[in-house]
Amino acid sequence: MNLVQQIESEFKLYEHQAQKDDFFEYRKKAFQTFQKNGIPTIKNEEWKYTNLSKISEIGFQTSCISNLDADALVKAGILNKIESNKIVFVNGCLFPELSVWLEDEPSIICTNLAKARKEHAAIFETHFGKYLPQEEGLNAMNSALMSDGAFIYVPAGKRMKYPLMLTNITDANESNILQQPRNLIVIEKSAAATVIENYIAVGDNSSFTNVVNEIFVDENASLEHYKVQRAKGDSYHNNYTQIVQNANTNINQVTLTLDGQWVRNNLHFNMNGENCNSLLYGLYIPDGQQFVDNHSRVDHAKPNCFSDEKYKGILKDKSVAVFNGKIMVHLDAQKTNAYQRNQNILLSNDATVNTKPQLEIFADDVKCTHGATIGQLDEEPMFYLRSRGISENEARKLLLNAFADDIAEKIKIPELVQILEEEIERKL
Amino acid sequence: MLKIENLKASIEGKSILNGINLDIKPGEVHAIMGPNGAGKSTLSAVLAGRNDYEVTEGVVDFLGKDLLDMSPEDRAREGLFLAFQYPIEIPGVSTTNFLKTAINEKRKYLGLEPMEATDFLKFMRSKMEEMEMDKSLTSRSLNEGFSGGEKKRNEVFQMAMLEPKLAILDETDSGLDIDALRLVSAGVNKLRNPDRSFLVITHYQRLLDYIVPDFVHVLYKGRIVKSGDASLAKELEVKGYDWIKQEVEAAV
Repeated sequence: MNLVQQIESEFKLYEHQAQKDDFFEYRKKAFQTFQKNGIPTIKNEEWKYTNLSKISEIGFQTSCISNLDADALVKAGILNKIESNKIVFVNGCLFPELSVWLEDEPSIICTNLAKARKEHAAIFETHFGKYLPQEEGLNAMNSALMSDGAFIYVPAGKRMKYPLMLTNITDANESNILQQPRNLIVIEKSAAATVIENYIAVGDNSSFTNVVNEIFVDENASLEHYKVQRAKGDSYHNNYTQIVQNANTNINQVTLTLDGQWVRNNLHFNMNGENCNSLLYGLYIPDGQQFVDNHSRVDHAKPNCFSDEKYKGILKDKSVAVFNGKIMVHLDAQKTNAYQRNQNILLSNDATVNTKPQLEIFADDVKCTHGATIGQLDEEPMFYLRSRGISENEARKLLLNAFADDIAEKIKIPELVQILEEEIERKL
Repeated sequence: MLKIENLKASIEGKSILNGINLDIKPGEVHAIMGPNGAGKSTLSAVLAGRNDYEVTEGVVDFLGKDLLDMSPEDRAREGLFLAFQYPIEIPGVSTTNFLKTAINEKRKYLGLEPMEATDFLKFMRSKMEEMEMDKSLTSRSLNEGFSGGEKKRNEVFQMAMLEPKLAILDETDSGLDIDALRLVSAGVNKLRNPDRSFLVITHYQRLLDYIVPDFVHVLYKGRIVKSGDASLAKELEVKGYDWIKQEVEAAV
C-alpha cells in the first residue's frame, strides 16, 4: 500500500469510529484537500529536487506502541544535557514519564493537543489551524490524521525561565513508523519563550515523520526557536513551521540538521506588523546518502521589518542538499531590510547542492541582498595554516569549525552549542 | 642551515627558477633582491612547500634534511617560517586558537607534551608584550579586517611565537608606510640571534635600511646573478636593476 492509499484507508477507519475526537470537522476538510492535492511530485516547482516517490512506496504503520525504556533514554543523556522543561512524544503519542516542568508561573501552559482542546478551548480555537497553508499536500495530510503534539502557551507579559525541550522520538524497533506530530505555540503580548524541537530515532526500520508547527507571536513578544534533527537510521522527516508574528516581535530560529536519511524543512515567516525582527539560521552537515532540503519563505507584509537569513552546509560523501529561500517584500513593506545567504562547502566530488535564493520585491524603498555560494575548502587558508605547522587534517577541522561557528554563535543556549560542537566533531 | 643547490622549478611548464645556489649559515641574514618577475616569490613558495610549483631539479638541504621531500607542515615543524607577502584572512579562527594549535602540533611532531592552556597564555602574553602587540589581537579572527600593517606585524608576531630557525620574509615591506615598516623591522630585529637565520626577499632596498643583511643576492631570470654585502643593496637603490640586466645580457 502506498502512502496515499494508506492515508485514505486510515481516514476511513477513523471516520467509521463511533467515538470520534474533537477534530473531526477539521480533519475531514483537510482530508478532502489531501485527496484533491495529494502528495507533491517533482513536477511541482517547490519539490523539483525533492522526490517523495520512494518514501511513498515504503509502507508505514501508525502506532503508539513502544517498548522504549525511559530510564535508558535518560541515562543515554540525550534529554538531560540542557536544564529545561520537557515534553516528550514517542511515535506521535505523549510519553508522560519523561515530562519535566520547572516553571513556577502557573499561567504558562505546556500540555498535549488533545488535552489543550478540552481545557484551554478559547485560546486553542483562536489559533489552531488558523495559520497553516492547508493546500500543501503534506500539511493537509498532517491535518487529516495528525497524531498528538504539544500545546505551548505563554500568556501576556510572562517569560519562561527555562527553555522548553519538545522531543520527538521515533521508535522503529517493531515496524516502519508513520507519525504526524502537530504542535501549536502561542506567545502572547510582551511574553517570551525558548523552544527546542528535538528529533531522535531508534530502531532499524524506516520511519516517516510529518510535522506541522503553528507558531503565533503577538506584539512585543519574543521567541527563540531551535530545531535539532538527529534522527539516525532510515528516517524520513518533513516539517512545516508556520510562524505568524505581530508588530515589534523578535524571533530567532535556528535549524540544525545532523542526521536523518531524508529531511525537508519548510519554514515560513509571516511578518504581520511593523518593526519585526526575524532571524533564520541553519546548519546542515549531511554525509553518506543523506538528503537535506531547506525551504524557507519570509513574507515582509508590513513596513520597517528586518530579516536575516543564513544557511550553511558542509556536505560529505554522496549527500545532497537543497536550499530554496524566498523573500517576498510586499507593496506596503517600505523600509524593509532583508538579507539572505546560503553557503556550501563540498568535501567530496560526489556531493550535490541545488540552491535557489529568491527575492521578490514589490515595494520601492527597501534594502535587500541575497546570494549563494558552493565551493570547496579554499586552498589559500589551508596552505597558510599548514605553513605554520598545522596538519592538513587539523587545518581542515579549524576551517570547517570556523565556517560552522557562524551559525553556532546564533544559538543562545551554551549547552546546545556544546552539543552541536560535539556533533560537528563526530560528523567531520 | 639552508643549502640550495641548482634549484630549478616551473609552473604550468614555464620555467621560473633556473638553477639557484645559496648557502645560509646560522645567524646570517641574506637578502634576495631583484626586478619583478625574477622569481623571488617563487623561491619563497617553493621553499615553503606550495604545490603549485613543480621542482624539476636541485636539492635543498635544511638542517641536514631534504626540505623538498617534506610537507609544508613538516617544514614548519622543522623550523622554517614564511612571512607571507599577502597574509590570509581566516574569519572564525581566533589568533589564540590558531597559534595554540600550531605550537602543539609542532610539539607533537617533536615528541613533546602539548603546552598547558595557562602556560600557553603566559607565553603568548609575554611575546605580545615583547612584540608590542595590541591586546585585542588574541580575540580577533586571524587577520580578519586587519590593515596591511597589522597583517605584517601579525606575521612577525607569529614568528616570535613559533620560534623558527629560518625565517623567510616575502616582500614584507610591500604595502607598508614608513611607520609600519619601522615597527615591523623592529620586530624582526628583536628576533635576530646567532642561531636564527633570515632570508629577506624584497624588491626595494628600503627594508634593508632597517633589517641590515649580511649578504645581498640579486635574482634575475631565475638565477642569482650577483652577490655582495649590504652595500650592493645601496648600489641597486641608486642605479636600479638595468645595469645588472645589461651585465647578464652581455655575458650571454
